[in-house]
Amino acid sequence: MSKNDQTASFLLRFTQKIYEDEKGNADLQWRGKITHVQDNDQKNFSELKDVIDFIQTKLSELTMSSMEEDMSPKEKEGILMKSMDIWKKLAKSYPKMVADVIKDPKGQVLQIQEQITSKAEDLSNRLQLESYKPTSKSDIQDLSKQISQLTDLVGSLQKKVDKIDRKLAKS
Amino acid sequence: MIKFDDTHIEQLLAAKQKADLHVYSLGKFNIVLDKNEISDNWGRDKAIQLFQFFLISRNRMALHKEVIIDRLWEENGTDQHFKVALHEIKKILEPKTSSRSKTKYIQRQGSSYKLNMENVWLDSHIFKSLIEVGNNVVGHQDELAIMAFQGAIKLYKGVFLPNRIYEDWTSSERDNLQMLALNAYLSLSELLLQDQAKESIRLTEEALNIDPTWEEAYRVQMMAHMLNGNRPQAIRCFDKCKKVLDKEFGIEPLPATIKLYDSIRSK
Repeated sequence: MSKNDQTASFLLRFTQKIYEDEKGNADLQWRGKITHVQDNDQKNFSELKDVIDFIQTKLSELTMSSMEEDMSPKEKEGILMKSMDIWKKLAKSYPKMVADVIKDPKGQVLQIQEQITSKAEDLSNRLQLESYKPTSKSDIQDLSKQISQLTDLVGSLQKKVDKIDRKLAKS
Repeated sequence: MIKFDDTHIEQLLAAKQKADLHVYSLGKFNIVLDKNEISDNWGRDKAIQLFQFFLISRNRMALHKEVIIDRLWEENGTDQHFKVALHEIKKILEPKTSSRSKTKYIQRQGSSYKLNMENVWLDSHIFKSLIEVGNNVVGHQDELAIMAFQGAIKLYKGVFLPNRIYEDWTSSERDNLQMLALNAYLSLSELLLQDQAKESIRLTEEALNIDPTWEEAYRVQMMAHMLNGNRPQAIRCFDKCKKVLDKEFGIEPLPATIKLYDSIRSK
């Protein structure tokens, strides 16, 4: 892999704690751990903001290490700013996405199910599956009758061709 | 639902005698073939990586060649790379068979490949199977659960493929196995709490060495110290838990831990 084309992988682990508070009401807490795989650096967190900061630091380090040594400070600054812009855009939507999954896992599953159903319907429309039906016993019987008729027909055609061949050979 | 009994555990523990290839992936990567250890650098790194990749296949499902190439060689991988690496594995594990014959240890299904578990003993596989037995019987067959968890813990000698911690294709399996180990330590420490408080303390300590923020382990340890008649140690254990949770997460212990602490203090 070239210096310009590097990967940063993160492993995110969430642990859910359901407990009763002092008043006996059920409450929930999330604890998490993020690992940057390439250097095995780890951080525990209870707020998603910490995850974003951690990833941002690691991505900045990656961008810095990927820059060519002969680049001018201005060029380096420009690349770093671009890297930060991309991450900022992602970071804006990512916590919401994660938070949605945590808040409403059932809703997320339903959404995925709907997407699968819609894709399956789309595929079924394109393939027109209704026109395909399972082969019945009578279908097979009809088919074998037709094959046998075709075999007879080919046999008689072959005889005719042989006859013509013989005539041509004599003349 | 499968009904487990002690024959399941005996079979899992005896599996090692039946297989002639033993693969150790927990704590250290090591291969033993017909009781002979194969040296660490038996092949090119990619051939070793390919063999290690087969160790992580989920539920022992065969993996498509394209998936393997994509993960191990990324965009530079070709069929040829895969073939060369596979051939190298075969040459080491089955030097006497011809290069075209089927391999005994790696099963091919079309374009997919997996370890042939009939001939291979893999520590992480047996570890998971023992924990599955333990989790299924705990609460109604506790003696069996103890046997299963003890067997599993004996196999967990450290993280999965420690020499590959910087490779992202290993991280998910490593984390998964570590979580199973933590739960096994905790379950076993709870099961042994009343009769073997000292062993329970040792087990929770092992769990906390893996993850110092594992709050349940502190709770079991506090109870074990109390059963052992060591109230000051139980209080110190709570203090440590509180300190770690504050430092790592910025949070207080859960109400159940605080309640236990209060009851210890009042005694």
